[in-house]
Amino acid sequence: MPLPSSTVYRRAAGHFRRSFRRSISTSPPEEYDVVIVGGGPAGLALASALGSSQLVRESLRVALVEASDLSKVLDWTPAAGTFSNRASSLTNKSQTFLKDIGAWNYVDEERTCPIQDMQVWDGVSDARIDFSASLLGLGSPGQGMARMTENLNLQRVQILDKLKVQTIERPEGSGDWPLVHLDNGGILRSRLLVGADGFNSPVRSFAKISSYGWAYDTQAIVATMFHSPRGAFMGPNTTAFQRFLPTGPIAFLPLSPIASSLVWSTKPPLATALIASGPVVLGSMINAAFRLPDVSMRYLNGIVLDAHASGNPVTASQIQAEIAWRERSHGIDETSAYTSIIDVGKQGIPPADAELLPPLVTSLQPGTVASFPLRFNHTDSYLGEGQGSRTVLVGDAAHTVHPLAGQGLNLGLADVECLSRCIQNALLQGGDVGWWITLTTVKIQLRRFAGSRTALVPYGQERYFENHKIMSVMDKLHKLYSTSFEPVVWARSVGLEVVNELDSVKAALMMQASGKRLEDASPWDIGANVVESLAAATDTARVVGTGVSGMLGAVLQGALKAVGNASSQSKH
Amino acid sequence: MHLLRRALHTTSSVNPAEIAHFTRLSSQWWDEAGEFSFLHKMNPVRMRFIREKLLEVARDEQPALNQPASTSALKGLDVLDVGCGGGLLSESLARLGAKTLGVDASEANISIARIHAAQDPKLAQSLSYLHTPAETLLSEPKRYDVVCSMEVLEHVDNPPTFLDTCAKLVKPGGHLFLSTISRTALAYFLTIFMAEDVLRKVSRGTHTHAKFIRPEELTAFFRAYPNAESPWVDAGRGSPTRTQAEIRGMVWNPLGARWMLAPRDAWGAAECNYLFWVRKPIVPT
Repeated sequence: MPLPSSTVYRRAAGHFRRSFRRSISTSPPEEYDVVIVGGGPAGLALASALGSSQLVRESLRVALVEASDLSKVLDWTPAAGTFSNRASSLTNKSQTFLKDIGAWNYVDEERTCPIQDMQVWDGVSDARIDFSASLLGLGSPGQGMARMTENLNLQRVQILDKLKVQTIERPEGSGDWPLVHLDNGGILRSRLLVGADGFNSPVRSFAKISSYGWAYDTQAIVATMFHSPRGAFMGPNTTAFQRFLPTGPIAFLPLSPIASSLVWSTKPPLATALIASGPVVLGSMINAAFRLPDVSMRYLNGIVLDAHASGNPVTASQIQAEIAWRERSHGIDETSAYTSIIDVGKQGIPPADAELLPPLVTSLQPGTVASFPLRFNHTDSYLGEGQGSRTVLVGDAAHTVHPLAGQGLNLGLADVECLSRCIQNALLQGGDVGWWITLTTVKIQLRRFAGSRTALVPYGQERYFENHKIMSVMDKLHKLYSTSFEPVVWARSVGLEVVNELDSVKAALMMQASGKRLEDASPWDIGANVVESLAAATDTARVVGTGVSGMLGAVLQGALKAVGNASSQSKH
Repeated sequence: MHLLRRALHTTSSVNPAEIAHFTRLSSQWWDEAGEFSFLHKMNPVRMRFIREKLLEVARDEQPALNQPASTSALKGLDVLDVGCGGGLLSESLARLGAKTLGVDASEANISIARIHAAQDPKLAQSLSYLHTPAETLLSEPKRYDVVCSMEVLEHVDNPPTFLDTCAKLVKPGGHLFLSTISRTALAYFLTIFMAEDVLRKVSRGTHTHAKFIRPEELTAFFRAYPNAESPWVDAGRGSPTRTQAEIRGMVWNPLGARWMLAPRDAWGAAECNYLFWVRKPIVPT
């Protein structure tokens, strides 16, 4: 029955009045000193770092806003023996930081795995470099960060989870302090707004910080792989393997004696086809990708792609037959470590070259196969200015990096460490922690040495260039190894092999980190410095130059892995 | 020493032309990229000097006070900021818990400072501003634990009167902090020729070289203040003792684009910008 129109009108008007009244008579904004948007690793680590400082606890009111239910993260109880596909290698620096802020206590070290050895080789030439000086704590960040939330609860940071940020604004009369509107009607007025809200950061859009970058024509496949344990004559499963194929690097990162993490960067259509072909085919292809010569990999990739395009994905028996045939044609005999037909590692004395290769993948943990596109992205600045002042970005909101070695998390943690240090320094001097950040950082960038404008600028300054160096190195590495152009392959391979023979050079590269102990050093800094100084060199002998930076790329790749975790070391 | 040898005869040290100059610039106080960017960057260094000096004195007097929380140095103290401008230093002092009064002879400065401080709910309790020359405060009984006057001395008309006013506002045992620019060729080159004429970072006419004061002139002033018999700083030559007065250079580091606090007695560091601290004797001897 239709209602009389006047009733409709009155109801509508009443509704309008009500909603209007609600919007103008909202409760006064709650005042905070720091509002962190985003409860991912970077946001939680920042909240935890701020909460662990007595100085901050006494003088600042900190809130963390997260849309999802953090209690789920808190209650994360993974079944023993299964692993999240989102594993990261934590550098020692990151680990020290997590220990300093008390978060490491909540990391289940049983579920982390040190890397004691690192094998990196060229997919085209098989030039190889290995690093065994060291260890590297490898854990699942989900887990580390999940435990961190317990820590947060202890530290009286106001956690506002299950709440979405609706809008961020800076109305007249609030000074330059941003107002964060939550979807429950609450309003937070914040001295400093921290965007830890990931790649599509709303805080970044509010602050109108532009970013630049490009999508690599690359998709990363991740999965948790199961394999047989290393045999009695081989070391423990503590070696990371990475092979640079022209389609992208494939990496094998140990998680436990029988489980390891996969990061396979490859062309998007191939990634789609591989995943669509099912876990058994993917497993066989992983094994092949570490073993077969590039020419055969190209052939196998073609088969997978064609079958996928035709609508009949390749079957496990088809691909295994193809692999067996390719092996025979390359003269790989079935007692060699390079065969993926028989798991030679399982029985008796392993072949001589078994240590050069990862164990054979027997299955993939259900539900862990996933893929994501790779991007290079860097904001123009980490600090908002003008209408977006009192805003700062950390982690993926500020930069997205090629995940050659899970560096994204480490960069984010380093951001957080630097930002919390800057905040504490500013507090000591009675500074306004939000104001000092409000800086025209675009100009800082352009006038790197001459014109920075603030006291908290250390954050913008320190982190921006550090991150950019590392990101550029990753980018150059990616591009360098994406080619099979002969002279480049030759040069990068010779470089790699020469360095591999020169232990003193390797050691020097690793030790160089500004007189610090090896385990304190950030190998990325070393590598980045080296690559940077190379970049400054002339264009003469470009091929050789490329080769050398390729070699250094590989060296620093290894050096990263070289950083160890003393506590794990003592355990092993 | 010619400046400070003048007799203390005028009643006000306020220079109307200087006040007009800063009133014109007042809207820029909180534009960190603007006219006062050097002061914004100097502020952490000034605060560090104040905080560390107060802690040092506290430790000297109470060695038992081994590790006082480092922000506690100013907590609860009565602090006066003379020539507060837009309130850069006053806000920082108040944030560290000092009951702060900022005074300035320019009304525009005071209103800018008030508007800015109103944004920050934490400052409401501890910070207030007053539009007045420092001299009028002498008529009131209130005296202060700490009197600061940063980058003001080189703008006043009669430095001895001004110093006398500041000194009288300090409680016995209290502290006077000053910062200014030394009258050297280097200071002319950096603060006037480079900053005002070449780089145009600072408006022309902000500084007058002849009004700059050398650190030894300040020391000499307090070696005869309030009188030659019982001065704040013991008579003698060279640097004063650490417990009576201190001079610390502030050096602009163009590479890091920030100010650095030079170590005590660093050679040549106080040739341009410097900080000065002097303590009023507890019992007038």
